[in-house]
Amino acid sequence: MRKKLAMSLGIAGLLMAAAPMWAHHAFAAEFDAQRPVKLRGTVVKVEFINPHSWIHMDVKEADGKVTRWMVEGGSPNALFRRGVTKDALPQGTEISVDGYQAKDGSNRANGRDITFADGKKLFVGGSNPDEQPNAK
Amino acid sequence: MSGRFIALAAVLLAGTLAAQKYTPPRTPDGQPDLQGVWTNVTITPLERPANLVGKQFFTPAEARQYEKDTVVRNNADRRDGGAQADLNRAYNDAWYDRGTKVVETLRTSLVIDPPDGRIPRKDQGAPAVPAGFGRPPEGPEDRSLPERCILWPTAGPPMMPSFYNNNYQIVQAPGYVTILVEMIHDARIIPIDSRPHVDSKIRAWLGDSRGHWEGNTLVVETTNFNDKTRFQRSSQNMKLVERFTRTAPDTVMYEFTVDDPSTFTKPWTAQIPMKKTDGPIIEYACNEGNYAMEGMLAGARADEKKAAGR
Repeated sequence: MRKKLAMSLGIAGLLMAAAPMWAHHAFAAEFDAQRPVKLRGTVVKVEFINPHSWIHMDVKEADGKVTRWMVEGGSPNALFRRGVTKDALPQGTEISVDGYQAKDGSNRANGRDITFADGKKLFVGGSNPDEQPNAK
Repeated sequence: MSGRFIALAAVLLAGTLAAQKYTPPRTPDGQPDLQGVWTNVTITPLERPANLVGKQFFTPAEARQYEKDTVVRNNADRRDGGAQADLNRAYNDAWYDRGTKVVETLRTSLVIDPPDGRIPRKDQGAPAVPAGFGRPPEGPEDRSLPERCILWPTAGPPMMPSFYNNNYQIVQAPGYVTILVEMIHDARIIPIDSRPHVDSKIRAWLGDSRGHWEGNTLVVETTNFNDKTRFQRSSQNMKLVERFTRTAPDTVMYEFTVDDPSTFTKPWTAQIPMKKTDGPIIEYACNEGNYAMEGMLAGARADEKKAAGR
């Protein structure tokens, strides 16, 4: 009985995984799913602002040219509540960004997956089924 | 057999929780004290999912399984499903705060009436395309209300959980209760006296709220919504009644009833426990950094160019 329910929940989960999620705005309106980018560079400036945060970074191209990129994240409020501030990303920090470039071809991308140079996740402490960080 | 017994125990426990006699503290002027910072974060869905038809409550074991599955499903760090799904997940999971638990009553939906946990819509069809979607936006006014930082569909009234910023501060003063909502950062100032609603010609995004006490319960009636608020696709004639009851030091039980005969076949009610959480409410100055609006409009122009070039 329990097994059956667990199974049906699992199937529902698979079906629902295909449904798009709703961020503050439609990311598909701003970025192009056909233009995946991988950026590696150093942090220039971090804007922890609403509705979305922006990380400005310098990316060194193969020919040595440096290009400035803006990378979009989420609302900083949840991070503040977990004690994460701009100090987590001082100027000069080396980061890697896996994302999608802006539709208009400008040097903007969503920070789909941001990691430190050593591969560690930038901000740890997302959803953990064993704790509810927000509730007392 | 044991599963059924646990389910029955859960129902009884939930009933006991609701009925328990808790005397809330009082404000200096004698109102039941609802003050503090509260969160309504939960992964319990508003409406009962199709695969849980007939099941009002989880057993504790089922709840843990549902939590586990939902957290995995919601996790934005997953990269499967193709580029479009990947892009729609937007950014790393750490930015989100969707919660990881179902409500403590173990109900399978936030809607408690009708008992099937479904909103009794007159039109059961697909939701209408929100304004701004389905055609290229020419300016900000063609994008949706949340994207324009005007209204968030769950920020209320009535207040429901979303994927982050599910925090509320209640402040009481003689004659007034104020609710500061983190998402979109509106403060709703509710007069607690017998004054009538403003004239029906006056319409507001958040409607016009009036409160009164019924025992230890704050009852707030809101009318005078405008024709763009459209909570759950309702009309501007929607009447909303919210009930706030402090049922424990760390809990305000929040219930709301929506009545709009032109949209729903009958009134419906949802229940969401609000749990005490750490403050402060963090400012959500949405227009300050809404670079994405420029990005979306630039995206629309780029789409047009691409289409014209073909």
